[in-house]
Amino acid sequence: MRIALTLRGALLGVLAVLPIVLAPHWITLVVCAVLWCAALLTDLSITPSPRRLDVRRTSPGQVRLGEDASGRLLVTNTAERPVVLRLRDCWNPTAGLAEQRAGLRLPPHERRAVEQSFHPVRRGRHRSRILVLAIRGRLGLLERRAHRVVPGELLALHAFGSRRHLPSRTRRLREIEGLAAVHQRGQGTEFDSLRDFVDGDDVRSIDWRATARRRSVVVRTWRPERDRHVLIVVDTSRTSAGRVGDAPRLDAALDATLLLMALASQAGDRVDVLCADRIPHLSVAAGNPRTVLHDVVAATAPVEPALVETDWEMMAAQIARRARRGALVVLLTPIEPGAVQQGLLPVAARVAAEHPLVIGSVADPDLESMAAERGSIGAVYRAASAAQDGLERDGVSRALERSGAHVVDVVPDDLPQAVADQYLALKAAGRL
Amino acid sequence: MSAAVQPATAAPERRSSRVLVIVLALVVGVAVVVVALRGSFRDGPLEPGAPTAQGSKAVVRVLEDDGTDVEVRRYTADAADALADGGTVLVTDPSTLDTEQMERLSEARTSGGGQLVLVRPDADALKGLAPGVSPAGKVTTATSLQAGEDCGAAGLQGRAIRVGPAEDVSDSAALYRAGPPADSCYREGGDAAVVVSDGVVVLGSATLLTNDGVGQLDNAGVALTALGADEALTWYVPSPTDPLADQQPSLLDRLPDFALPLALWACLVAIAVLLALSRRLGPVVLEPLPVSVRARELTVGRAHLLHRADGHQAAARSLRAATSLRLASRLGVRREDRLDTLVAALLPHTSLTASQLHELLGPTPVRSDQELLRLTEALDALEKEIDR
Repeated sequence: MRIALTLRGALLGVLAVLPIVLAPHWITLVVCAVLWCAALLTDLSITPSPRRLDVRRTSPGQVRLGEDASGRLLVTNTAERPVVLRLRDCWNPTAGLAEQRAGLRLPPHERRAVEQSFHPVRRGRHRSRILVLAIRGRLGLLERRAHRVVPGELLALHAFGSRRHLPSRTRRLREIEGLAAVHQRGQGTEFDSLRDFVDGDDVRSIDWRATARRRSVVVRTWRPERDRHVLIVVDTSRTSAGRVGDAPRLDAALDATLLLMALASQAGDRVDVLCADRIPHLSVAAGNPRTVLHDVVAATAPVEPALVETDWEMMAAQIARRARRGALVVLLTPIEPGAVQQGLLPVAARVAAEHPLVIGSVADPDLESMAAERGSIGAVYRAASAAQDGLERDGVSRALERSGAHVVDVVPDDLPQAVADQYLALKAAGRL
Repeated sequence: MSAAVQPATAAPERRSSRVLVIVLALVVGVAVVVVALRGSFRDGPLEPGAPTAQGSKAVVRVLEDDGTDVEVRRYTADAADALADGGTVLVTDPSTLDTEQMERLSEARTSGGGQLVLVRPDADALKGLAPGVSPAGKVTTATSLQAGEDCGAAGLQGRAIRVGPAEDVSDSAALYRAGPPADSCYREGGDAAVVVSDGVVVLGSATLLTNDGVGQLDNAGVALTALGADEALTWYVPSPTDPLADQQPSLLDRLPDFALPLALWACLVAIAVLLALSRRLGPVVLEPLPVSVRARELTVGRAHLLHRADGHQAAARSLRAATSLRLASRLGVRREDRLDTLVAALLPHTSLTASQLHELLGPTPVRSDQELLRLTEALDALEKEIDR
């Protein structure tokens, strides 16, 4: 138990000035000190202990970044005396708890609620470290305090800003699925149905056996194959920590992951997600298509970039182990020339030989504006440096494309749509 | 170690710090030489060792050459001992003595029969040390005073002295009046500048002893006669650190009785208030935040490196390559093609000649920042021309 003096308890000592002036003696001092201590002890003895308080919490649960969550603390006074309480709920600052402190007046055997409102400013898992309860003494001279661990957790999910693009992409997906042009059978298509021949249908798709059984000519229709496998690999190494605009590159990569995930589950494909740098950090295997999006959002919420280099050989081994034959592999990693040459190129070539490979990279829009800077010699050197950067990125993405990968290198706001479009293009072309 | 690690640009700083060290060493050396040349002495009004205008080194040196043993004393007790032994004691500043010190000196003189020489005493000092003498006036300008016929012992073997203000010691000379048993000399009106009364010599002006004034008229003779009477002379310079001088009741003694307990109690209450105010409600919450570095820092850093290393050529190469690529993709030229192909494709669309285009886009050396700036302007102009 901890005891803290209040300001009133400290200023009580001022009362002793009068006796000291009237009878200036050491004995007066000692008597005053003893009386002061006695007053404090009296207050201590008539104040209920914080152990007599029962605290329960309703956790705020999960909330998307940028939205508000609410939690609640229920404090019950089990003591016989009324309690004047100050409490502080020590959440970490980025959890965005509006008011950490609260004051309560609890009659005996009654319960009061403290409403809490959260506005998290950082993605990830937030916790209440400790709950401090301070009961004010009946005379107000001191406070009895206690530290209580009342577990509380708030999971701030990725904002998933790109979900506004989902309806348009889903419509496009439906068009592809129902496209009459996909009449030929081929890789990545499966038998859909039989229907009557209309003018314009490809004669090669006439099903003669079915036609023979009926009076009219019947054609077979095909649709893109469903239940394909998509593996999304998110690189969480140091290059993904770079801040572009207001958010790190990793946020844009996760945004793209979520959009592709949502789209692919609409298309009936199975999606696995892997976040890795030196070691695989997180892997979400496709389960129930209804809950997989939520699972991935919740699972990727605490993923943060680490200041290490990616182990591409390990990455290749993980891809080989997880991806089914012919599965689409989407690799979300910034194509930094320095980092890529350290091992991505040969690995990308190996993966692209077995799977369709899409590499999504977050480009820095600042480079564009920097390359256009003019006016002073410093600006020209910056422009030259930005141009050199652009050339190197260009060279790397061409090298990757030569090895068979589809490279999407766009600014963070466009990355989710671009990756989704690439997926749709592959689907429309029957490459999946 | 530091020399190996520091870049080349640190060299000027090192040089300037070396210059600073040399200058500092010179200043210290000059200061040491000056102090050594000046010698060490204690400066002050009528200090026996001081060669300055206000000091009295001249008189002391002459006295010592004449065989008088001069001892410097700073405490009343020492001076009183010398007086009690029957010696001559010079008090350079009697007006700073308090009653007790004067009583002590006076008693010592009466008991031992020594001679006391006072320099410009004020009324209090006269009352304590030379009761027959009283102050009579001041001389604020340098004045020559003649010895009259009725001088007696107070003439001190001089004919005329020069009295008046002494620089840094006093702003005037004092005149005194004394009754019959005492001898007075060097009169201005009816009042005398030198009075000898019952073993006490009162000198009205500091100019009789200072290095500045001792050379004028018969000042030196008067001073030496007054001081050189015995084999030994005690030169008493009153000091504020004298244990006898410190007898006044201090400020603390005037405080009321309850002050100390009250102060202690106030400290106690202040500590309690500080404790009450300093207690935090719960711990500080630490939160490890993820790293985040602006992605463009790398590019900007490379630009600074290029600038510092004067990489005109490298910068020009990058800018030319970027422009060539943009133009090539606009004109449908494959990027693997040679420069000649691009120039050939450009020629119909621009006012520049083939050789100018080769010079602009080819590896022509760029030697200065100005040339680099001109090159960027030319490249921008070319791109604008093609865009039109």
